[in-house]
Amino acid sequence: MEQTIVDVNDLSRMFASKRALDGVSFRATAGQVYGLVGANGAGKTTLLKHLLGLLRAATGSVRVFGLDPVRDPVGVLSRVGYLSEERELPEWMRIDELMAYTQAFHPTWDTSYARELLNTFALDPSKKIKELSKGMRAQAGLLVAVAHRPELLILDEPSSGLDAVVRRDILDAIVRTVADDGRTVIFSSHLLDEVERMSDHVTLMHNGRITLSGALDEVRRGYQRSRVRFVEHFDQPPSLDTALAMEGGGRTWSVVHSGSLEQFNHSVLALGGEVVESRDATLEEIFLARAGRSRQQVEAA
Amino acid sequence: MTLRSPTSAMLWGLWRVTRVEAALRLAVGVVLPLAALTLFAVFAPSETAEWDEDIKNIATLLLFLPHLVPWSSHARLNHFTRPIRTATMVGLPTAYLIAMSVAIYLVSAFLLKVTSGHPFSLLPAAAWIAALHLAFGPIGWWTRNMVVVMLGMLVVLFTWGSVAGSRLHSFPNDVDYPLTDYALIALFGLVCFSVAVFAAARARRGDAHSMSAWTPGSGLWEWAINLFRFPCPTSSATRAQIWLDLKANGFPVLMIGVVLAIVILLLSAIGNPIDAAFQDEIRARLSCSNSDCFWARAWPVFFTGLSLLIALSLARNAFGIRSRYGRTYVSAFETTQACGTTQLAALKVLVKSCCVLAAIIAIGVSVWISVPLLGDPVFIQMFNVPLSSRLPAISGAIAALTVYEQLSLVVLAIGGVVIWVAACAVIGALRVRHSRRVYIAASSPLLFGLALVLVGTAQGEGIVSPSVFFAMLAAARWIFLAALAAMVLTTVYVFWIGFAERVLTIRYASAAVAISAAFGAAWLTVLHMAGVQLAWMSAIAAVSILSPALLPPFFSVLAPWSLHRIRHL
Repeated sequence: MEQTIVDVNDLSRMFASKRALDGVSFRATAGQVYGLVGANGAGKTTLLKHLLGLLRAATGSVRVFGLDPVRDPVGVLSRVGYLSEERELPEWMRIDELMAYTQAFHPTWDTSYARELLNTFALDPSKKIKELSKGMRAQAGLLVAVAHRPELLILDEPSSGLDAVVRRDILDAIVRTVADDGRTVIFSSHLLDEVERMSDHVTLMHNGRITLSGALDEVRRGYQRSRVRFVEHFDQPPSLDTALAMEGGGRTWSVVHSGSLEQFNHSVLALGGEVVESRDATLEEIFLARAGRSRQQVEAA
Repeated sequence: MTLRSPTSAMLWGLWRVTRVEAALRLAVGVVLPLAALTLFAVFAPSETAEWDEDIKNIATLLLFLPHLVPWSSHARLNHFTRPIRTATMVGLPTAYLIAMSVAIYLVSAFLLKVTSGHPFSLLPAAAWIAALHLAFGPIGWWTRNMVVVMLGMLVVLFTWGSVAGSRLHSFPNDVDYPLTDYALIALFGLVCFSVAVFAAARARRGDAHSMSAWTPGSGLWEWAINLFRFPCPTSSATRAQIWLDLKANGFPVLMIGVVLAIVILLLSAIGNPIDAAFQDEIRARLSCSNSDCFWARAWPVFFTGLSLLIALSLARNAFGIRSRYGRTYVSAFETTQACGTTQLAALKVLVKSCCVLAAIIAIGVSVWISVPLLGDPVFIQMFNVPLSSRLPAISGAIAALTVYEQLSLVVLAIGGVVIWVAACAVIGALRVRHSRRVYIAASSPLLFGLALVLVGTAQGEGIVSPSVFFAMLAAARWIFLAALAAMVLTTVYVFWIGFAERVLTIRYASAAVAISAAFGAAWLTVLHMAGVQLAWMSAIAAVSILSPALLPPFFSVLAPWSLHRIRHL
């Protein structure tokens, strides 16, 4: 049976009058990589902060390793590695001091792995944090987040500030190593290609809600992008069953749709059109289609 | 809101970032002198003629106090990338800050003039303050090195103090500048402004760094952090946390305390030769009540008071709360380390307390050495006490105490510092969560005190009936008792909820109870030493005098709870 690492149930959170999380339920099991995707203000960071106990659940519950991170911060945080979005590290500290300080809190600290990462990132241990560039700061933060080999690695926008090489080669390798060791990674990102590349599971958030969640392959299989040609000229997008987003004009439209292709074909035929070609939608297309639909729903409400 | 020009946008931005500091400066400028005047009115000795003059001089100094340091909050606005001229970038904030300082001074001086009837200087003092802030401008734009900035400030204060002193008819209110002085001030302002624009232009094109807002972790503070280099222990989380707090929060405070102590000692050492060298000039300018006239020897006395204020002000923010773009928060780096909240709060408060205590001890030792160097006449003229020759008597009195009594004094001193550090930390933490409520709670007693003073003054003038004043005094007593009851209830509630939420541990609670008991016993001993007989007092008076013993349990439960509230928002 899969071991549950994170179990979030019906979690809601308000910031003043803004609903940051609205009935979010999320489960993560051991050995998997979970990617959180969403627009700015979707609630990704808020959800991650609840997992760390930095925010307390207003309604609903959060359990990490079966513990409440607010009531038992030591029990949870000693098994978690965290890289914050702001890369908040003490400016005056040197990298070797940062490593020593973090090591003291984690008996599982792997000195040789830390040294290896230090070399991989080409970081000078005698440099102060304030002397580092944004990317180097991210690397230093990543180093201390993973060097104690945490059971759960939480990365908030890990690629922010990292160059393409570090992002593709090193970050991917670190995340895969953690997952292959049977440990869990949860990360948030704006970069859909990165989520597509690194995750086993994807969770799409919009306006504080989870609008889509599942194994990456299943999610991708559930959506297609089809090119449709009609006999009639349409000034406005025609109404098609299961269509999430449409672009184009006149007689030819590109449609991102969910459900079976057969059902969609029927819908197109009913309007006197035909499906010219169809393929699996990319994550970006799914994201844009879902986010756009949610936005329309909100506006309509 | 529509802002039609860059100027109005800049002024709006300046108002937004400086309004809290402006309110603070106004509050300090009004409340401190009023408190001094009120205390004097309540506890005035019978021979008040000389005391009356002294207390009004102190009130004037307190009135000036908020204007002796440059503004800091405006530095959060960086206009380097705005499409405006450098002269505008420098000139508008400078003009705004000068106008604010002058307005704050005039309002507070006018209010004091109305309440006390004392003729506080208005226009000449306002001109002096304006010139002082003009002089601060170039320093801030020229460098961000805090040592240079502080030295520059001292030079400006010293020079400007001398200028005011040269036009002084009677200290400190009767200052009168001839028109030529105003012309000189204007010329000086022009020079300062030109230098500031030049320095800002250098900083704008990246040739130099200008002063940014002072925050822990930059400038002098960071220099002090790096002064003490010792490796972070990796053997335990507690040791690593102590290392971090010592480096980031403790040693800089200690270092500043030691520097202040050395400055007091140096000022005392050079005071005698300076006064001796300029004895005739000093005698010509100041009216001396005794044969030995002094001027330079007064500086260590003032500087000692200032040093203690600095040491106590450095005790704030033990939890390391940060402020950025108007948002206050606790660093995610520390709060995501695997350390219990109670342990974290206790370590932070204790480490900071130790260093503040060490800084105060350094200042105290320096004062103890300096007093004989200054001689008795200084203290006789300033405080009517021959302090220098009384030092052996003070030492003898302390030595004559029993060990238990000496221990009680030590416990009270240490406990006082820890309570002060914990109180500052708790208020800072609660401000993050409930800023409006904290401001209301803090300003309510101040406003009530102000109302009490105003009604008391009006009653003295016969405008208000004495019954109103006495009703307010009675209300103050009941408010105090209600506050004590609220403290007790809060302590019990937080104690209970702390255990319910697993914030407090049995070990911590036991330590807090033991420390509170020790503080309470020490307080009773000191009351006994002072000859206070609780049995002869009314119940209200006895409760009031025992109330300080409530502070250790109150803050020992509130400190971890408040950190818990900001760690898990």
